[in-house]
Amino acid sequence: MTRKPTSSDHIVDEKFEPWERNGRMPLPVVWVAVALAIWGTGTLLTTSGGAPETAVEAAVQQDRPVDAPDSGAALFAANCATCHQPNGSGVRLAVPPLRGSEFPAQGPELVANVLLRGIDGPIRVDGHDYDGHMPSFSAAFGDAEIAELASYVAATFGDRDDGVDTATVADLRARAVGQGTWSGGEALAAAYPGLPPQPAFSSASVTPVSADVSALIFEGRDDVWACASCHGDLGQGVENTPRLSGLSADYIAKQLRDFQTGTRANEHMSFVAKGLTEADIAGLGAYYAGLSVPSTAAPILGGDLKRGETLALVGDWDLGVPACFSCHGPSGFGVAPNFPALSAQQAPYTASQLAAWAGGHRANSPLSLMDQISKGLSTDDRRAVADYLASLPAVPAGSTGAVAKEGDGHDL
Amino acid sequence: MNRYLPLALLAFGILAFATLMLVIAPGVQIARHSVPPQLEPYTEQQARGRAQYVGLGCVYCHSQQPRSPDQAPDGERGWGRPAVAADYVYDQPHQLGTMRTGPDLLNVGARLPSEAWQLTHLYQPRAIFGWSVMPAYPFLFEIKPAAEPGDTVVVLPEAFAPEAGVVVARQEALDLTAYLLSLDRTYPAPADALRDEGYATMESGS
Amino acid sequence: MTSENPETGRTVKRTIYALAGGLVLVAAGALALESGLVPGWISGRAKVAQSATDPTYFQPPTEAEIPDGPNGDAIRRGREIFMNTATNAGEFVGNGLACANCHLDAGKEPLSAPMWAAWGQYPKYRGKNKMINTMEDRVMGCFTYSMNAQHSVAGHPPPHGHDIYRDLEIYFSWLATGAPNRTKMAGAGFGTVAKPEGGYSLERGKAVFAENCAVCHGADGQGQTDINGRIVFPPLWGPNSFNWGAGMGRINTAAAFIKHNMPLSQPGKLTDQQAWDVAAYIDSHERPKDPRQKSGMSVEEVRATFHKNEDSWYGKEIDGVLVGVGTPEPERPVGAPENEG
Repeated sequence: MTRKPTSSDHIVDEKFEPWERNGRMPLPVVWVAVALAIWGTGTLLTTSGGAPETAVEAAVQQDRPVDAPDSGAALFAANCATCHQPNGSGVRLAVPPLRGSEFPAQGPELVANVLLRGIDGPIRVDGHDYDGHMPSFSAAFGDAEIAELASYVAATFGDRDDGVDTATVADLRARAVGQGTWSGGEALAAAYPGLPPQPAFSSASVTPVSADVSALIFEGRDDVWACASCHGDLGQGVENTPRLSGLSADYIAKQLRDFQTGTRANEHMSFVAKGLTEADIAGLGAYYAGLSVPSTAAPILGGDLKRGETLALVGDWDLGVPACFSCHGPSGFGVAPNFPALSAQQAPYTASQLAAWAGGHRANSPLSLMDQISKGLSTDDRRAVADYLASLPAVPAGSTGAVAKEGDGHDL
Repeated sequence: MNRYLPLALLAFGILAFATLMLVIAPGVQIARHSVPPQLEPYTEQQARGRAQYVGLGCVYCHSQQPRSPDQAPDGERGWGRPAVAADYVYDQPHQLGTMRTGPDLLNVGARLPSEAWQLTHLYQPRAIFGWSVMPAYPFLFEIKPAAEPGDTVVVLPEAFAPEAGVVVARQEALDLTAYLLSLDRTYPAPADALRDEGYATMESGS
Repeated sequence: MTSENPETGRTVKRTIYALAGGLVLVAAGALALESGLVPGWISGRAKVAQSATDPTYFQPPTEAEIPDGPNGDAIRRGREIFMNTATNAGEFVGNGLACANCHLDAGKEPLSAPMWAAWGQYPKYRGKNKMINTMEDRVMGCFTYSMNAQHSVAGHPPPHGHDIYRDLEIYFSWLATGAPNRTKMAGAGFGTVAKPEGGYSLERGKAVFAENCAVCHGADGQGQTDINGRIVFPPLWGPNSFNWGAGMGRINTAAAFIKHNMPLSQPGKLTDQQAWDVAAYIDSHERPKDPRQKSGMSVEEVRATFHKNEDSWYGKEIDGVLVGVGTPEPERPVGAPENEG
């Protein structure tokens, strides 16, 4: 039974090529596409037009335009108030006041001179004697900032409106080269006769570094690399090699012993510490504790300096993090023997140590204090606080191992 | 296939566009950037050391491109700020590398500036890091009964020191070390530097 | 193709469905993201830091919220006095302490006698002096006992009506912005730590102190200073600490403070027993005499009058030595300049 072609079977177009009608896209696929389109447009709108400059770049740009320094008041609040207090009252029997002090009244040039060189030695302010230890801000500030700050301090606390200009500060800076810090009020009074009598400066007998220790620091030994070959000739450190100058002798000795015993893990330092004797350790501690070296650190991690300042000065109690300075001392100068100086420490080192504590790789903190605190900090917080501490001036030279003195009416 | 001309034109156009956007434009952009004044050309010794670096295949395990803090904590590792194009102006060919079996080395000269350390580490990495997987390069050194004047003796703990004599660095080791110590790009990135902005733009944007 | 193409209607309908469905998806996604149910590794959002403090505690205003103008100036002055008492109220401070030594985080930390909780409680009757105390009376007590004003340059606490009280009080009331009035708030005072059944032991307390406190406060309890001589860790006993009339001289009060706040950043580390032991150890040392001990009064009389029924070593003997006689008077008032004129 053969089927005969009917009219309906008739192929009208012999050139017909089969083709498929547009199949409908399933609705869920369309939904996803529409949702993605809306989300994408939204993201584009919220993130477009931003500043191309990142936080890193902003922080790395160190040479700020010198013609636009912060105002003197802002500089004072950010850099001076931790010690001299926001109202310039100082701290009784510890930090000389600016309010009522004879020094700002001598004019802004003296203030600029002190800012540039710092003070190490006894100083008499408003009838009280102080054991003066003020860091030098010459590395932290440019001439324009020193000028702004000195003019502000002299005007606010010394009633001197004459101000000082950038050129004068540059001149002072040039003359201060190689001069070191002012050795107390006596040296200042010699330069500025208008000052009241100042206590005499007695140069503390400096124990010379033994030849052995000196060789160890600069040349190394058969089984020990020279300290200076990594930590720098002045113990200033670089990247995640820490700054040593200004750390207390006891702290350095404890760390070296911890490296020896493995309590603190660091391959480089274990290698070195195994070759050290107790005499070496004591000598190295004394040497680096006595070094007063300007800061070479800079905020290079792109951290939020404001946040870092808050953590250092106030802490974040909601995270269980007290202020760094509540233990490491105001301005991060350290409290011997257990709380090392933090100011001017290399930012990568500080951040890496905080990370090591948080991760359990470093566990030699007394009472596990730092382990707990570091765990409370986020990565951004660690960067922020490390960068802030790196922006501070280095700890001034001074005696270490201070203990709160008894109140015998003479001093606290 | 009688309309090959449009096809060829289209293909050529696409190729030209890609070349323009991926090769020519970036080239022009990078060429305009200033050379960082702190970056010095390699000395002859450093250049010899660089040849050692290439020849020993260091690039297979070590990158030379620190990344943005938004992508990796390279800054905290001490590896330095994010690299910019100008950092490589004297590197031909560059040694960027893609593997990080070992640490990034673009700033190793700043991070580990000790020649003595570098020599110990090249002679026997496990003298310092017991867990290190880096090959030792003893053939860059020789063992002498006693050091002669001008020799650089390698600092070694007892366990790794030869039974007799001292380990002295050959010229190759000194060259390689000189190159490693020259790797220091810790100067601030030039203001006009072009670099990967990482994810930071997303946060700082809007 | 007819003029009434059914496809057109369907396309419109589909478009509406598609858009609506897309919007629903976006809304659902946004809701899920905001609800925090999406794990961080998907959403890419950093986990919101879990507050270490109990969120039920009152949240005082932040420093950035201090208003401008005379009010704000006074608040800032009050804060300065609170933080740096020996300088900004130095005339009336006879030791090395500051308000903020015990009222941590500038008087904001719960269970560290936060000022936002204290503000709404005054005036009130206090058994300590058996009268109605205003906040000014209360702060005067702080100067008398905790700051040992007797050894200060002035020799007495700031007189009534002094600006120091004004500035401190406006600081307290600002901290208590929005806090309930006359209500015992969570986190008020130092909290309480029940006295252990076996009592406390000086031996154990000494060991706890050496292990947990000496790192900061020194093995001799005299605190530590930085290189400028600025007190970083306050002295816990001796002539430079609070006197025998201070609340912290009572073992239960000290134990509660220690348990809930010490070691700094590790509250709750010590057990109740350890807190009591170490508090007893700290409060067993001699400190400036109780200012309520007028001339002619013996320590026993003072104990019977002011220290009855309290957990304190005052008037008791340790190893045959009477406790509470006080440290020697200073040669000159604390903080007086050494060079007159």
